[in-house]
Amino acid sequence: MSDTQGFAALLGELSTFAAASVRMAAPLLIAGLGEAISETAGILNIGLEGIMLSGAFAAFIVAWATQNVWLGIMAGIAGGMLASLLHALLGVGRRADQTITGLALNFLASGLTSYFFLMAFGRTTSLPECPVLPAVEIPLLSSIPFFGPVLFSQNPFVYFAFVATGLVWLLFRRSEWGVILHAAGENPHAADSAGLDVIRTRYVAAAANGCFGGLAGASITLGTLGFFMENVTSGKGYIALVVVILGRRQPFGVALAALLLGAADALQFRMQTGNSGIPSQVFIMFPYLMTVIVLLFSIGKTRDPASLGIPFDRGRR
Amino acid sequence: MVVPAMLAMRDIRKSFAGVPANDGISFDVGEGEIHALLGENGAGKTTLMNILYGIYAADSGSIVWRGEVLGGHGPKEAIAQGIGMVHQHFMLVPTLSVSENITLGLKSRGHPFPDRRRLDTDILELSARYGLDVDPAAKVASLSVGERQRVEIMKLLYRDARLLILDEPTAVLTPGETDGLFRVLATCKGQGHSVILITHRISEVLAFADRITVLRDGARVATLEAAGATAAGLSTLMIGRELKSPARRTAPAASLPRSAAGDRAGLEARAISLRPVAGKGLQSVSFSVAPGEIFGIAGVDGNGQKELAECLLGLRIPDSGKLLFGGLPVEGLGPRQRKRRGLAYVSDDRHHDGLVLGFDLAENYLLGKLDDPRFVRFGLVDRKACLRGAGGAIADYHVKTRGPTEEVRLLSGGNQQKLILARELSSGPAIIVAFQPARGLDIGATEFVHERLLERRAAGSSVLLISSDMDELLGLADRLAVLHRGRLSPAYDNDGSLDMMRIGLLMGGQGMAEEACAS
Amino acid sequence: MRFLRTLGFAALVLLLVLAVAAALVIAVRADPGKAASGFLRGAFGSFYSISEVLVRATPLILAGLGVSIGFRTGFFNIGAEGQIYLGATAATAVGLLFPGLPALVLLPLALLCGFAGGGLWSAVPGFLKSRFGLSEVITTIMFNYIAINVVGILVRSVMKDPSYPLPMSPDLPEAMHLPVILEPTRLHLGLVIALVAALAVWFLMSRTAAGFRMRAVGLNPRGSLVAGISVPANLLLASALSGGLAGLAGASEITGIHHRLLEGISPGFGYVAIIAALLGRNHPGGIVIASLGIAALQVGSSSMQRASGVPSSISWIIMGVLVLLILARRPDRDRVAR
Repeated sequence: MSDTQGFAALLGELSTFAAASVRMAAPLLIAGLGEAISETAGILNIGLEGIMLSGAFAAFIVAWATQNVWLGIMAGIAGGMLASLLHALLGVGRRADQTITGLALNFLASGLTSYFFLMAFGRTTSLPECPVLPAVEIPLLSSIPFFGPVLFSQNPFVYFAFVATGLVWLLFRRSEWGVILHAAGENPHAADSAGLDVIRTRYVAAAANGCFGGLAGASITLGTLGFFMENVTSGKGYIALVVVILGRRQPFGVALAALLLGAADALQFRMQTGNSGIPSQVFIMFPYLMTVIVLLFSIGKTRDPASLGIPFDRGRR
Repeated sequence: MVVPAMLAMRDIRKSFAGVPANDGISFDVGEGEIHALLGENGAGKTTLMNILYGIYAADSGSIVWRGEVLGGHGPKEAIAQGIGMVHQHFMLVPTLSVSENITLGLKSRGHPFPDRRRLDTDILELSARYGLDVDPAAKVASLSVGERQRVEIMKLLYRDARLLILDEPTAVLTPGETDGLFRVLATCKGQGHSVILITHRISEVLAFADRITVLRDGARVATLEAAGATAAGLSTLMIGRELKSPARRTAPAASLPRSAAGDRAGLEARAISLRPVAGKGLQSVSFSVAPGEIFGIAGVDGNGQKELAECLLGLRIPDSGKLLFGGLPVEGLGPRQRKRRGLAYVSDDRHHDGLVLGFDLAENYLLGKLDDPRFVRFGLVDRKACLRGAGGAIADYHVKTRGPTEEVRLLSGGNQQKLILARELSSGPAIIVAFQPARGLDIGATEFVHERLLERRAAGSSVLLISSDMDELLGLADRLAVLHRGRLSPAYDNDGSLDMMRIGLLMGGQGMAEEACAS
Repeated sequence: MRFLRTLGFAALVLLLVLAVAAALVIAVRADPGKAASGFLRGAFGSFYSISEVLVRATPLILAGLGVSIGFRTGFFNIGAEGQIYLGATAATAVGLLFPGLPALVLLPLALLCGFAGGGLWSAVPGFLKSRFGLSEVITTIMFNYIAINVVGILVRSVMKDPSYPLPMSPDLPEAMHLPVILEPTRLHLGLVIALVAALAVWFLMSRTAAGFRMRAVGLNPRGSLVAGISVPANLLLASALSGGLAGLAGASEITGIHHRLLEGISPGFGYVAIIAALLGRNHPGGIVIASLGIAALQVGSSSMQRASGVPSSISWIIMGVLVLLILARRPDRDRVAR
């Protein structure tokens, strides 16, 4: 009797943990899909952290001001796109070093969001709150034991992440657009000589990256937290970059990698709450450590697009 | 002109940074004509064609294509107008399939979700019509150079190009593949396509072209019918003087005084094998180069030449086999130690292998002298000595530059190569590995490079010359062998007895197995 | 001609940055006059404020020099922040372990260990890059988060001052304090160390064979390999030196300012150092000037916040805009003929 009770409790624990993992994976997955599109087209955007931060802030401030989550989401997308297009303007249009541009974007986004946050709220001890997108239980599916609570009782951002994974797969593997993105990242001169507009293709990829990254940022403030604080993304943009490398820029690979690092984050939270006297930094550190360890497993397995990070210039080879 | 031209380019001018690349060139192509554009490297052939194809805009001049004026167009418009170009560097995406490459940029039926199987059928049909053998589903990365070229031509035919521009198409082909290419071009001609053939190879032009336009120093020298032309006449038009034959036989290998190395080979490879990566490896390659000898390795690019050079240099470690410098094994030695043992390397890839473009001449000179106490003492660089050394190299090798403090990226290819030669050869190396040392250079610079190599030969160096240019090998090498798919044929003496037919077949891989067995 | 163009560009950038700053100040409805005077007073207004700028510039110069060595060798070290923390930790450990040593031994030992701590911490990503090709941009950033948490753990456990409730180490022995060079300000010998380091880095990079090798690797790794220069070894060396200088910055902060280890000893010095290296074009002299400029900007912004309520994060925005504007100018190579 007590055995079955114990088992049920364990299963419950496990499903709560798995659900948390999936929830934590969502922003990584959404941002990772965007970056995968961008990198496939040849743009390396280290500024993903800045894109997510911009999205998270824009989504929060609009949702807070209008008390409307959906307007917040739209603002998040717009914020992310603005940041990503700024990166593209320099890294694609002006052919600047994409890594340095990305870093500068992160500094700028961090400064701007913190500045405007302080401007709006001052230095308060109580964080201003915004509405949160509630979890939606999908009828029937959510009552499946274990999988129901893990996969089908989540917030809409999680569902979007699932659907987007499939859509990006379709884009990459079945559509001519995927072929074009690929050509722009692998051999832009070939794409150019075939009459394709490489620069425009890359701008479109950057816009897609901004849209996904902004949404990923919004999913942090509007999906789970319900508030904003300085540098709320806390390195998730960088971790999403690792997710992209680990997933070999393929949507389902990115999804698996996001789940793995999402689980690390969930584990960290779980251990932090168990009051053990161990400094919480031990757990906070865990996802970052995991990211490095996981990166070690990507050694030799990925091949970057040949023109990744190299601005296209028709007159040069 | 009797027939109205399909294409008429008039008085085309284009300068790069004030240096004219095209200086008022006029040029016509008729329908169903194979028109050769003949000239040295740097004569302006590719620039002219890039203007026609819309990659560059001309500074002045006009283009009339099938009765309409073309201008301000890009490749996209050129393609739409029926003009297609196969570049010297193929414009293919290696990670995509043949079929995806061929239809790249087209809005096929069902766009953006085209029916790939249907497209493949269309491609196969077209390939049968022109005798171009391609597999639509294959990844381009897995194809040989000749196959990739066929994909490039298919790309143009699929787009219904009426004019095919081919930039040095035979530079990368074996003699057999070259014949195949010209059969395809003849079929195209028969179906009403026109062809512009950019080349510097006189023999091809005479054999396959209808008309020939010769360019020199950015200007048109002559346009003539191929039927009445002669090789000697064309070469004079091309270079503006009679071609001097290399003076290889001034000091035959046999008559050289043997150096301290005695009878030992300067450079010897014994059964070097390298496991293939991406199809490129080495299978039990053996050869030896005596002091005072130039040993030539012939063959089409991509048959293991780069891999062999990197094994000799110490950048790659062979899976098996032995390498000896002056009779001593060099296993386990890196590039630096091998250089100290007297190895010099002259590469075709100046920008990646030979130079640091962001450095000035003196620093690039130092790059090869880091172990020389005249330039580096107690870990400190003697900048004045570097400037003096580079200054001497500039004078001795006639490098055209503003001085040793100029950045090398501002130098022309020929002058960059001269600097590399000066650096590599000034220390009197016992062994020289020269990998396509004259690629991309104009006639003058090419001659210069060849003379320096012969000089080193006379001074007793063992020279390994790896090249895909048969003329270069025949002019310089004492003995030569052919590398095909990582296997080296036996060596042949380069004298009157050399059977060119046999060499040509070996380059295409025919007879390789028998030769290997016989040896 | 080229000089005039550069001058014109600099003027344009300055104008744009001033415009952005003005717009931001007006956006928070602060009094522009008060803000400007607060800024100027804070940065240049007095003997003391100038000394504060110099104090602030010290770690930026050291870490910026480190970042520049990495950049020039092709090692994009974004991890100076973590390396500062590790250097600070190592220096503190020396003080806690050998409190009895005389100053002449203890102080150099602490600085040396700070250098070693930062260097080793940076050499790990350096090794991962040179051996396995792992992107150092990502690993060094992850190492920042890890390092900061490691310090958080240490000051709560083995290094904690038991007599004090806050997470910080005990006070370090007097013998380990860097002497103040300008009483009564906080300006300490660290500035002199930083300037000497700038000279040393200049000498290393432009006068020695080791520096030449590192620069060659940074500009053309393949060509370096062919020329017999070991790319992995130089990447490793550059990563260690790079992190070492950042570690020295941390040690200098500990021995010169804080005299104990605590969380938040670096308010982003490591990140600002990257900007200093970029603005200083990776040249030691340029980095010293850029660090002084950035330090003035930051100290001035803090004072402006106190005077007029404009959030001091305005300095980050200005630095971001500055870097983006400079990136927007096409690199030189584009203007060179083919």
